[in-house]
Amino acid sequence: MRRTIPLALTFIVGLYPILAFFVPDVRIAHANDWLDEALVIVAAFALPLGTVNVIMTNTSKLKKKARGWQYSIVLLAGLAIMAIYGLIGGTGVDPKFQWMFVNMVSPLQSTMFALLSFYVASAAYRAFRARNVEATILLIAAIIVMMGRIPFGDMITGGRMTPLSEWIMSIPNAAAQRGIIIGAALGAASMSIRIILGIETTYLGSGKD
Amino acid sequence: MNAKKLLNVDRRVIYLLVAIGALIPIIRPIGLPTVPTEPVWKLFNKIEELGPDDAVIISFDYGPSSEPELNPMAQAILRHCFARRVKVLVMALFPLGGVNMAIDQLDGIADEFEGLEYGVDYVNLGYKDGAQAAMKRMDISIQALFPTDVNGDPVDDMPVMTGARNYDDISVVISLATGIIGEYWVNLVNAQFGVPVAVGCTAVSAPKYYAYLRAGQMMSMLGGLKGGSEYEKLLVDKYDFARELYEEPDVKARSAMAGMDVQSIVHMIIIFFIIFGNAMYFLMKKQEKEEKER
Amino acid sequence: MKRPLLFILAAVFLFLASQVLSPAVFAQEITGLRVFDTPGDGGESVTLEWEGGAPGAILIMRSASKGGPFEEVGTAFGIDGSYQDYVEAGIAYYYQISYQLGAEGYLTAQVGPAIAKSNWFRTYRVNALILAALMFGLVLYYINAAKRGKELYIRRIAGISAIDEAVGRATEMGKKIMYIPGIMSISDIQTIASLSILSHVARQTAIYGADIEVPNKDPLTFTAARETVKQAYMEAGRPDQFKEEMVTYITYDQFAYAAAVTGKMVRERPATNFLIGYFFAESLILAETGQSTGAIQIAGTAAPTQLPFFVTTCDYTLMGEELYAASAYLSREPNLLGSIKAQDVTKALIIITVSVGIVEYFFGSSVIKDFLVAR
Repeated sequence: MRRTIPLALTFIVGLYPILAFFVPDVRIAHANDWLDEALVIVAAFALPLGTVNVIMTNTSKLKKKARGWQYSIVLLAGLAIMAIYGLIGGTGVDPKFQWMFVNMVSPLQSTMFALLSFYVASAAYRAFRARNVEATILLIAAIIVMMGRIPFGDMITGGRMTPLSEWIMSIPNAAAQRGIIIGAALGAASMSIRIILGIETTYLGSGKD
Repeated sequence: MNAKKLLNVDRRVIYLLVAIGALIPIIRPIGLPTVPTEPVWKLFNKIEELGPDDAVIISFDYGPSSEPELNPMAQAILRHCFARRVKVLVMALFPLGGVNMAIDQLDGIADEFEGLEYGVDYVNLGYKDGAQAAMKRMDISIQALFPTDVNGDPVDDMPVMTGARNYDDISVVISLATGIIGEYWVNLVNAQFGVPVAVGCTAVSAPKYYAYLRAGQMMSMLGGLKGGSEYEKLLVDKYDFARELYEEPDVKARSAMAGMDVQSIVHMIIIFFIIFGNAMYFLMKKQEKEEKER
Repeated sequence: MKRPLLFILAAVFLFLASQVLSPAVFAQEITGLRVFDTPGDGGESVTLEWEGGAPGAILIMRSASKGGPFEEVGTAFGIDGSYQDYVEAGIAYYYQISYQLGAEGYLTAQVGPAIAKSNWFRTYRVNALILAALMFGLVLYYINAAKRGKELYIRRIAGISAIDEAVGRATEMGKKIMYIPGIMSISDIQTIASLSILSHVARQTAIYGADIEVPNKDPLTFTAARETVKQAYMEAGRPDQFKEEMVTYITYDQFAYAAAVTGKMVRERPATNFLIGYFFAESLILAETGQSTGAIQIAGTAAPTQLPFFVTTCDYTLMGEELYAASAYLSREPNLLGSIKAQDVTKALIIITVSVGIVEYFFGSSVIKDFLVAR
């Protein structure tokens, strides 16, 4: 029973969007929309679970004065302040919330994103080695595309680098992307069929009863 | 020269050189030229064909992390639309900050243009959850999906919505996207409803979007900071107001064209390291071979 | 001999001329106006079609009663066109078209009634139905074949084979294993695939007595991951070793999550990192930081944009469908192996269809291409 009900629910809920994809009847579309909304509501209920876990983990760290407990104070204070001003704003946007978002959250996120430039440099230095023919082709293509994305490329080659770079992106790259997308989509479809039919049950915690 | 030691150079040396390479053009701009490419031209020409009787949707589907890359193109596209007095419907389908990005950009850019009125020439419809479901509903009615704007005011009375009831009235959808939402616009809105879709995306997503561009499912793509700089260049070449605006220090510093200086230097540093790494790799191989022979 | 040749040439010339000088080129009065319920929809619209017209705007006029009054509901462009009008289902509508030919205005006779009705099948998606039925049928066939004892071969997937070695390494070093199940919710299929691998990894850590940590970005994934790990420990016969702190929720924010996890990697220096699921821009931050700490890294994703980052920074990478095949590969259950086989056969059929379609297109036909268009 513990596994039968989830599997039955999975079967019904999994088949329904497939039915809605082919059957345009308004009643079926409405039910499908209801399922989409239900997912959002379930996710919203799961959010407090996660938030409670964060609060419990960090208050426990504070109590035990575990390593890094000072950061737990910052985390809990940030959580409380943003939540309070976010709730005050209602469905609109509170000016103080917007200020904190623009002047604190946004720069912090941009900073983390900016780390990528450093990591790309170190990863490229380590990974782009002409060990064999394929690696050499990859290396040359990477240099052409990088040069094509900056004005220097065209300045050095008299305007030839950008069209060459665009060709690499539009033809070989697009072909490879399509192959991966089709393969991944088939894999996802196969996995979905297994889940809907109740063959794949590892997500329930176990493959065995 | 010990090639093996040089090959295993501390990554902090690489980070330091990248940091210096990024800082120098910010302190002392170079002003490298930009050459617009065909995918960017397509969107520019499309908006050039539009006027006060046309409406476009600009969807802010990105958050703060993609702000440095996508804000410049957002600003350039908004300026272009406002210059041509095209009706602009702004919305956000990205949950983490999309609406904040929209608010941040829209009001500031609209203030640069005299005679533009909120609710008449443009509107910020705010955020709607469930990206794909929201996109499907707009085929029937945009107002049904967004009965109020971001401030909670009913959109029924707004003149801007009169000529923008559903996708039939929309000339082009421009999604400024990070992640998967750009693909949703292309796969759903263009494929099922035939609306032209243009996507402005981060550079890391651009390779994926080329497949859609080649298939004709996307009419245009602005890839990363370079795409933004190309659009700014087209704007500056065509409109005097843009030429003057992008000369102002504050605007120039935040523009994609200025960002391209940084990108150019950092790309050159990475290319240098790749070539250097390979040179050391082959030198190390040679040294190992010589040692074996000894 | 000359006369028949002249007749043939004349016939060809007349045929070509008829194409060039067809009504489509010149403006002419609209004829054949008809309106009908749009096929294959949910009763949202009716469709008008006509022949003739002018290059300029054509005004579509609608009335809910025969004889009017008519109101303008939209415009169409082009000669020999069509227009889809979104209306209320069940109500009879009448239509007229108003247009200009030169300086003269024209109004067609009214047509109707047309009633928008809900249909039971989207006829334009019959191609998707055929493909879906084909794949479904193949899955059932091969599962049946596997159950009957037929040997189904799956090639070695290096990343999955390395899981046990990676867990063993962490046990020997006395360090923990960090498992990152991607940043998307449980509704994403990659997350489900990741949890199936987590189940196996958690069972291995329970058996070896190694330490595992699973930091989560999504609250739904967090609850599912906790249950998965708990169940794995129970199955391994070590329920007492399971601790709730093994599976934690960090934050919903993408880069705050990346900052927290990379901080853990640098401070705690896990021996093994698993990065399996759907990732976005934080993938390189996580993988490069893990690489810098000297951990063995096994990654897996079906996101094409993140694969290059994982390939350059991780020791093993499960690419695209390899991620989805993991549960079948690990369990070797006939049911699961059968579905992988069916997936491979479907891919082979797609390759053949695309190849034939390309050849056909070169010969000027587009039957396969038109059939495969997705709507």
